[in-house]
Amino acid sequence: MKNGPLFLLGLLVTIALSFLGVVIGSHAQLGNLVPFYDDAEGQAFPQRSSGIAARGQLVYGDLGCASCHTQQVRRPDYGSDQARGWGDRQSVARDYVHQSRPQLGASRLGPDLKNFGARKPVVASELDIFNFLFSGSARHPAYPFLFETRKVSGEVSAGSFLPAGKTPQSGFELVATERGRSLAAYLLSLTSGYDYPESKPVVLSKKVEGTK
Amino acid sequence: MTTAPTNAASAEVTPIDRQARGPLLLLLVLGVLWLVPSGIFALLASIQLHSPQFLTDCEWLTHGRLEALQETAFLYGWAANVGLAIALWVLARLGGYPLRALNWTVAGAIFWNLGLVGGLVGIATGDMTTFSFFQLPRYVQPLMVFAYAAMAISGVLAWSGRRTDSTFAAHWYAVAALFLFPWMFLAAEVVLIWLPVRGTVQAIAAGWYAQGVWTLWLAPLALAGCYYIIPKVSGRVLSSYESAPLGFWCLLSVGAWTGGRHLIGGPVPAWIATMAVVTSALMLFHYLVVALNFRGVASAPGTGATFIRFGVSAYLLVGLLEVLTSFRAVALHTQFTFFATAQTQLGYYGAISMMFFGAVYYLVPRLAGRAWSSAGLVAGHRGLVMLGVVGSVAGLALAGFTQGAGLLQATVSQGSIFEGMRLPLLLNTCAQATLLVANLLLVVNLIRTMATCCTTVDATAGLFRPSMNLEAPAS
Repeated sequence: MKNGPLFLLGLLVTIALSFLGVVIGSHAQLGNLVPFYDDAEGQAFPQRSSGIAARGQLVYGDLGCASCHTQQVRRPDYGSDQARGWGDRQSVARDYVHQSRPQLGASRLGPDLKNFGARKPVVASELDIFNFLFSGSARHPAYPFLFETRKVSGEVSAGSFLPAGKTPQSGFELVATERGRSLAAYLLSLTSGYDYPESKPVVLSKKVEGTK
Repeated sequence: MTTAPTNAASAEVTPIDRQARGPLLLLLVLGVLWLVPSGIFALLASIQLHSPQFLTDCEWLTHGRLEALQETAFLYGWAANVGLAIALWVLARLGGYPLRALNWTVAGAIFWNLGLVGGLVGIATGDMTTFSFFQLPRYVQPLMVFAYAAMAISGVLAWSGRRTDSTFAAHWYAVAALFLFPWMFLAAEVVLIWLPVRGTVQAIAAGWYAQGVWTLWLAPLALAGCYYIIPKVSGRVLSSYESAPLGFWCLLSVGAWTGGRHLIGGPVPAWIATMAVVTSALMLFHYLVVALNFRGVASAPGTGATFIRFGVSAYLLVGLLEVLTSFRAVALHTQFTFFATAQTQLGYYGAISMMFFGAVYYLVPRLAGRAWSSAGLVAGHRGLVMLGVVGSVAGLALAGFTQGAGLLQATVSQGSIFEGMRLPLLLNTCAQATLLVANLLLVVNLIRTMATCCTTVDATAGLFRPSMNLEAPAS
């Protein structure tokens, strides 16, 4: 390692190899992944999310929701993800092709949200989400800054709501801000109901195991 | 200008140290000062873990943002500044000449830290990238690369213009960290920000970067300090030194491949996780070499050696845990839990930071030309910081075990998991408070040492001093 340029070149090669192998390698494998076109249904999956949901993903990201919530369901025989109602199949790379910045997350202090919009047995409604985000709970922070109290002009807005234990203030209503509405729309858009060819075999292998 | 040093510690001050005093002390002080905001963020974030409604009205301080603030201030504030000071000093000492291009280092340090402040404000207002360890907003990232390169120049010059032809392990690690970080940061910037790769490949790329922060940047910086300081404090040559190249190239070439272990079971190709298992196991060679080389520190006296002993032990332990948790059967219990957080804490606080503290305690007297102003504060910092690290790692690991066991059983509700973790998470909060107090002691001690040291080390006067010492006789 006396030869300076050679040493620096060696260092560069080590970092380039790992970058090529890990990043470019997986990019070569997944970078061209396209939505799956289902002939029977006549449309491609996953479907693009609406504009408001795409904006909601930015809110999800900038509030740092991913520090307590994952968005990746593991296969049914690995962990209790399925039994908790987080999703019936594992998440596959194709689920994320339309997402500009997937929020896989690395901590499950809260539940997984990959399938939040199709959660069993009941799917939360938009108003449930508003109520929860406004008041929080014993283990979830409240985000009151996603809401505003404003004077009712004319009729009460459709999206206004009244958190439990609060008395209505006459002439005022509580509504979600644009950020709050986007976030709720994004959460409800999180579904992985469609089974791709590559997401099926795992269910099969579980059955095989079960018959042993 | 330089007053004659008047105490025992000054006996070891070389002209090289005197010449680099201003810039390196600037880096050290900035780094140590960053421990305060980072410690406050860590404390607030850990309170939120057991009391979620804490600071809930403040959009700037949601838990996600606090975590991003904490890790950014810690990595790019504390670890980067102090690590660079250590690397530059080691390279200067080994090179045998005073550092050149130090004004670049000063300018780089100023821009780096200004950029970091801007980045933290950006994170607080919601501009974080959402990639772990890479949270700096996109608009400060180019500045950070240039600032880092400017700081690193004098190190690379000191290495290429060294007095002796042969090199030493501390050389390799220091040069690797100085040289590779900008490349790694730029590569991550390209594939995550400028031309983002598609879908879950982003998670893989972010994992590669986060692992690189550990194996290609901070671990080499810490090891560079250790390779230089351990023979000095133990008074013995490194044992089994002939295997050091193996340890070095193993860390450099294999380390960055191990990032995929956090994606086990995730929506990524299965070979990513398999590769992580294989490469994590290969990394055992590196840890074995480090253990063999650093055996001598076990019996070495002094504060620096105490910290380094703790740091090396934590480094080896975290290496073993990395291998263990990369196996799918183990990851099933630890993935997505606080056990992973505990490992990060053990790695970045228990290993890297403790080795850095050891180097700081060794460096400052030699740069400042006098001993630490208060032995009591040194002892206080040493005791409290060790207590804090052990407490937080233990608290997080206990919480992780409870969480892992609970998550595996679908019948255990998230609510009862949360209740079960309350006590260990409270322990973690106490430990974070201890760490903050400990580091405040270090800040006070460092400032007092500098204030009383000598006329030239009053902040800016020292920084922009012309390099007249270059012409002074080296005696």
